[in-house]
Amino acid sequence: MEKTGVRKNKEGEIWAIGGGKGGTGKTFITSSMGTYLARKGKRIVLIDIDIGGANLHSFLGISRPKKSLSFFFEKGVPLSKLALKTGIGNMYLISGDIHSLASDSIKFTQKLKLFRHILKLNKQYVLIDLGGGSHNNTIDTFLIADKMIAVLEPEIIAIENMYHFIKNSLFRKLKMSLRSYGFKEIVEHMWESREKYKINNLNELIECLKNSFSYIGDILDEELSKFKIYLILNKVRSSQDIIIGSSIKSIFMKYLGLETQFVGYLEYDDAIWRSIRERRPFMVNYGTSRSAKEIETFTENILQGSEIKHSRN
Amino acid sequence: MLRKEYKKYFDVLEISPDASLSQIKSAYLRLKRLYSAESVVISPIADEFPYKRRQKILKQIEGAYTALISLSYHGQHKSSYRGESLTSKGGSEDKKEKSTPFSGPVLRQIRKERGIGLYEVALDTKIRVELIENIELERFEVLPQEVYLKGHISVYANYLLLDPKKAADDYIKKYREWKSKIEEE
Repeated sequence: MEKTGVRKNKEGEIWAIGGGKGGTGKTFITSSMGTYLARKGKRIVLIDIDIGGANLHSFLGISRPKKSLSFFFEKGVPLSKLALKTGIGNMYLISGDIHSLASDSIKFTQKLKLFRHILKLNKQYVLIDLGGGSHNNTIDTFLIADKMIAVLEPEIIAIENMYHFIKNSLFRKLKMSLRSYGFKEIVEHMWESREKYKINNLNELIECLKNSFSYIGDILDEELSKFKIYLILNKVRSSQDIIIGSSIKSIFMKYLGLETQFVGYLEYDDAIWRSIRERRPFMVNYGTSRSAKEIETFTENILQGSEIKHSRN
Repeated sequence: MLRKEYKKYFDVLEISPDASLSQIKSAYLRLKRLYSAESVVISPIADEFPYKRRQKILKQIEGAYTALISLSYHGQHKSSYRGESLTSKGGSEDKKEKSTPFSGPVLRQIRKERGIGLYEVALDTKIRVELIENIELERFEVLPQEVYLKGHISVYANYLLLDPKKAADDYIKKYREWKSKIEEE
């Protein structure tokens, strides 16, 4: 699970696009960021592992791929053989499907194998579209990424789901890293006896762990400082909506001690809806639109690790 | 350097240490609103992040704002923050100072009180050392044109956490008085 161990080619990066709720625009944003990067000359592979609806191909205007990740799991076909042309130079697509990734059908070892092979793909950028939900498979894939990207809509259900998703991811990350340091069951143990330790939430769990042994505190501080979320706000309709991005950044820091990069937003735009209906890649057909510019802006911010420029603050 | 000492306050308000006075204010208001009221971003975690916990954060925000603001006014609103202010000199002078306009010597005095060297200013603001000195010593005859001058003054004032607009306006007023006198002669 350690990113650094397996990954030798440091030139590339894995971006995972998740966020908890379905329908917030993750797939659209993944395909658009990929298209933008490919047209900039980067070598891209998109991996669609949206369990409920692997449909990334539709956003690129290609038909449902016949080869999918189930070939990898069941027949051992290498990932590079499953990568399909997308119609956009430099960019390939590996499609997931419902059967191969349905909740319990892949074993932990299979998952590790998939991650190892993803890390070995000879592409500069691997963009993984995670789909909704906070299932462990989704979260583990999120956690192997070099850049963990959360797409959010400015409405309460999406916000609630994202909190849930991020807290679960963090919980799992801490559990895994403490395990790798030899503290095998400590997180589970504390969480299970939370009444005894007066722990009501993740924040208190972290505090309690830190106070238990000083070196655990150091490990946690290190892990927390590495756990960075890149936040994209989609379907924005007002400047009030944009503030939600800054608010969530603030809450993650002040409540969980997590750093968030609010990289940008995408205003609600009928052209996107039309483009999806027409099954044509948006960045190609509406390349000069305001939305395309917004997509470019946050993609660049993710690339460079910078944030949205606050003009309204 | 001053702004670095106050870094923790800027961190609490989630702004960079080169934030202007108005940015400090709007960040404060935004965060105060965020943590005091229920909203779409607070409600989903309100049970584990209740008002009682948020009050602690509000207190830090309040403290950071007070510290930065008391620093930023040269004698102006300091009666309520006297303990914190670096420029406080006692009650009777407060009223007088309130109307004291900014000038070269006043800027110089504030800079020295805050223990900032000319070179430090130059490094951080990218204004040349000679120019800063000329501004402070009011060597009007060697200063650049008014539009440029105004820009430099507000950058410098902002750096000292002063009101950039007031500083520039006050200074330019004095500059114009000098200029019209010269032209008369």
